[in-house]
Amino acid sequence: MKLFLGLAEGSLPHESRIFGEVEGRLVDFTCAYATYLSEVRGEREASYELASLYFPATISEFLENGESSLHALADLISFLRPRGLQDFRGPAGEKVVYDPAEIRFLSPLQNPHKTIVIGFSDNVVSEMRLKAEVPTGFHKLPRTFTAPRGPILWPKFSQEIDCDACLAVVIGNPGQRVPPEKIWDHVAGFTLLLDITARDISRREAVTKNHLLGKNFPSSSSLGPALLLKDPNVDVNGMEVALTVDGVTRQRFTPRQWVFSLEQVLAHWSALGLRAGDVFALGGSVALRTISPAPAVSLTPGCVVRCASSAIGELCHKVVREDEPRSARGKKTEVRDQKGLNVGR
Amino acid sequence: MKLLTFTFQGGERIGVLVDRDCVVDLERGAAWYLTDARGDPSAERAARILIGHDMVGFLKKGDPSLELARRTVDHIRTRIAKGNDDDVLVESGILLDLKQIRLKAPVPRTPTLISAGKNFSDHVGEMSTRNIPSRPVAFLKLPETITGPEDDIPYPKETQKLDYEVELAIVIGKPCVNVGKEEALDYVAGYAAFNDLSARDVIRRENENGILLMGKNFPGFSPMGPYLVLKDEIPDAQSLKLESRVNGEVRQSSNLGYMIFDISEMIAYWSQMGLQAGDILTTGTPKGVAAGRKEGQTPWWLKPGDIVEAEVEKIGCLRNRIVAENQ
Repeated sequence: MKLFLGLAEGSLPHESRIFGEVEGRLVDFTCAYATYLSEVRGEREASYELASLYFPATISEFLENGESSLHALADLISFLRPRGLQDFRGPAGEKVVYDPAEIRFLSPLQNPHKTIVIGFSDNVVSEMRLKAEVPTGFHKLPRTFTAPRGPILWPKFSQEIDCDACLAVVIGNPGQRVPPEKIWDHVAGFTLLLDITARDISRREAVTKNHLLGKNFPSSSSLGPALLLKDPNVDVNGMEVALTVDGVTRQRFTPRQWVFSLEQVLAHWSALGLRAGDVFALGGSVALRTISPAPAVSLTPGCVVRCASSAIGELCHKVVREDEPRSARGKKTEVRDQKGLNVGR
Repeated sequence: MKLLTFTFQGGERIGVLVDRDCVVDLERGAAWYLTDARGDPSAERAARILIGHDMVGFLKKGDPSLELARRTVDHIRTRIAKGNDDDVLVESGILLDLKQIRLKAPVPRTPTLISAGKNFSDHVGEMSTRNIPSRPVAFLKLPETITGPEDDIPYPKETQKLDYEVELAIVIGKPCVNVGKEEALDYVAGYAAFNDLSARDVIRRENENGILLMGKNFPGFSPMGPYLVLKDEIPDAQSLKLESRVNGEVRQSSNLGYMIFDISEMIAYWSQMGLQAGDILTTGTPKGVAAGRKEGQTPWWLKPGDIVEAEVEKIGCLRNRIVAENQ
């Protein structure tokens, strides 16, 4: 099951909803669950409040609820599948089924406690003193997340922007010092992360080992488009992630190629404590590495970057200069998905 | 004004320190003021929205909320001085004794905590770093590591070299993007004391990959407080003295005048990232940390049972005890 976070038309920013993908359409799960409670459990009056408890406004809160929300999800899916979406509405006739074009998508996680991109410093890589023993990483501030189809703003202070496509694991059950063999009990699911770096700044910061500005400027990260919940039928090691720039494939990898295993990475970082909604991402740069460093994928203003994995979906961004006039950034940066549908902001 | 975040009867509240040992619950106090002084029928809702009980939310609302807070406190002070209403204020949980509450960090959940490194030349020297940096250097402390001014700090199993660093925390008051250093202080809400706890051996291992993150971010590694002292009380933050003590013994003793990049320069530089109300920058620390001890000198590493104090003149003193985990 893929969960999306989004805003329906006219919603205020805090009125986000969790949408699930059912029969290729998006279902407002809060309202759908209220219908389930009304019809199946006969709890009409309390149905909206209870639905907001199990399907809150954010996916982070959904994950924090743990088993109770996952059971509610299972009940909802069992209810929806045989019924189908034909004429499916909320308890008071509300619209519950949407097309993607009707939703303004947000990053599925708005404020993770930690968003760690596993990687190494530039000067270490270039000097080839890399020890692929410790899965060190960078933290990406939540404020750097751009919307799944929003623009990537080229910051004024840099001349050299590049990106790395990552598969990201999202934590569900909290825990500390989790051994590798128990790690999967703490995984909620997967999403994609695009790690954008101002390489000239990052190279300079690498000298004092203080990576910050180069990795944390507005829209220097993208997370999404959806949270793919953990599924025993999905072979994680075989999930391919591909990055294209203006239609040309520049990175392609599967978790099998990573120098660190997911279990190793999460067990290592669990020393700080794993919390619901934490994100750990490994990218192409960690995959292709054996001895020689993998080149980061350089970007130019105006290019269109897509990062996709078939089970999760696609992130798509146009790179624009920070000081472009509003009109240039507004309508012209609408982006179209592979079917040519306009799903831009 | 000194703002604080505290817990009382299980709930998290924001308040103001009055008369050294009394606390005004700002949301309840504002609702009372709006009713009492203005006869406002929507007083409770207005207080909930304008004040609330989350410090970052309060700071983000800016001057109207700050003004309501000031008027609330002035009104309460006037009524107490006249001898009226004490009982009413105490019974409705508006006026509390410092002993009744538990202090949290004044900003327990900032979105961004940027901590300066190598910002005092004597500290650069003791850490055997070759060069004074030409631009501000800093790293991120994860907001989840923020802990209160009196909380116990668990000693992580992963380290044998736990170190302390007394610093000043600067809390941003309004959005600032690409600001110049002349105007930088206009964007400050106030200040708090800070202790940048560090696991030096974990840091050393990470440094081999050219990274600095985990060793600064074990649970509880960012004690802060005791209050958010608003900037009008501190006209010259750049001159404040800093001191750290372990079990009463002085370890660091300096003043912010020795910063390589001063407060305004730090704010101006990091505003390139875009800073928002509630974001926090810390100044970096002077010499006297445990990692700076030489061969033959008694080691200064923290151990379970130690009490570490981090004090900033006119701001306040943090007093945290290191404890073995699971205590």
